[in-house]
Amino acid sequence: MSSTPTRERRCELLAAAAHEEIVPLAERLLADGALPEPTVLKSPETGMVVLQVREPVEETRFYLGEVLVTECSVEVAGVPGWCMRPGDDRVAALSGALLDALAAAGGPATAEIDALCAAVAERHASQDAAEWADVTATTVVFEELT
Amino acid sequence: MITPAPAPASAAAVHPEEPAWLELDQLTERLNLAVDRAMGEAGLWAPMLAARAVRQAEGDPTEAAHLLRAHRAALPRLAVSVPVATSELRVVRRISSAFRNPPGGQILGRTVDYAGRLLDLLPEDEGRAHVTDEPLAPADDGHLHHDHDHDHEHSADPVAVERVPGNVLAILREMGLVAPLPERPDDPEPYDITRRPARPGAPRSAWLQTMARGDTGSLVHLWWYGCDWRPDHEIPGELRHGALPVRIAHPHTGKPVTVAEVRVSEVESFYNVPRAAAQRHLGVGYGICFGHNERKSIAMAGLDLALAHYDADSELHHDVLLTLDGLDSTGYAQHLKLPHHVEYRSVLDRAEAAGQDANPPGETA
Repeated sequence: MSSTPTRERRCELLAAAAHEEIVPLAERLLADGALPEPTVLKSPETGMVVLQVREPVEETRFYLGEVLVTECSVEVAGVPGWCMRPGDDRVAALSGALLDALAAAGGPATAEIDALCAAVAERHASQDAAEWADVTATTVVFEELT
Repeated sequence: MITPAPAPASAAAVHPEEPAWLELDQLTERLNLAVDRAMGEAGLWAPMLAARAVRQAEGDPTEAAHLLRAHRAALPRLAVSVPVATSELRVVRRISSAFRNPPGGQILGRTVDYAGRLLDLLPEDEGRAHVTDEPLAPADDGHLHHDHDHDHEHSADPVAVERVPGNVLAILREMGLVAPLPERPDDPEPYDITRRPARPGAPRSAWLQTMARGDTGSLVHLWWYGCDWRPDHEIPGELRHGALPVRIAHPHTGKPVTVAEVRVSEVESFYNVPRAAAQRHLGVGYGICFGHNERKSIAMAGLDLALAHYDADSELHHDVLLTLDGLDSTGYAQHLKLPHHVEYRSVLDRAEAAGQDANPPGETA
């Protein structure tokens, strides 16, 4: 059984999930009637987050650039749900916000959403490990010149 | 009234045998450096949109950056991220020329550093099979040898390699070779060149933002040509390529939450000050940009060092702040669109009139 992530961690995993992972689940929960009628507080909107970097020489902040994201806010039975994801997939952002609200409300769908989040976390960990295995294979140690 | 010339119905009309459609994942995976460069010069991290832009621009990264900038202009700003320190960078490549074997390891990652620059003339089907069969598969010793010989040894101790290595600058600072961090209790807000044009005298945050979205070729040129203030060149003491988290404050809890990830190239360059100088510390320059673009971040770090050396009213400050933007320079170079002939016509008219003044009709020389 998956443990329930913190609210922030759940948002991170719903942001990192693929479209195919979150949209079908949200659609099914809506079709099943498991969701009370949701209210869309902020329709999915594609925009940018300004990426602020603290550089290491003087530790001053500067703006490196902007990052494309899509954000959505909903409310389900008085419980707010929010999602911000990379890219411009509005349907996925709406689905993420719905799943966030449902999980926050602690209803019967929570276990399924927690399981989805756990699967996303596991997939990312295994991708990260595979990438690191490839990368560490290119490590070199230089001998001292004599 | 302008009557447009009849346009071909599509590119296929120009090229009857239209090649196969270029998929976005082919662009992000096989032409990743062009996609990264377009994002860096646009100042917008959006890999799939950048792939579309590169395709639409027929492979021209500058034109692709232009398309992305135009698209960006219509997008709202939803948030400003929590400041992220690059000490969090999860590396896929990290090399240091400051140390033989720096703490955290020398990690080559994907590179052509040790490959001969020989044009690959494999027959197409063999090349395709080679790429399909083993895209990045290491050799028996677990390393990508390509077709090169080299004198280094592969690390037998994976523990020595760190996914998030400490930066070389911090090590040199601990050794007393780099000046301690300046006292800066006010932590000033960054300058934003996308809201206020930067002019000489603008703070360092404006230089860094300008160079991070500057044209790669222009940056390299200015670094190469304009840095004659030093007798030798600075050393890129550390070069890293990896992923940085993008975090914002959660709207309900206020706690930081990662909403995206970007890849960046980062360089710290060091300059060995002359022995006679009163200053005993190494000078440090910093370069960073979106994506994998090492020559851009190396040039940026060199220019950052040079900018600290020069006064704000110097030519270098002017050039960095006002001449590095690819859209500015290429827009000026290629402003050929109709009805520009009006301006050229007036130039011709004036030249003609001047000629008639010099040689009035009826007069013979």
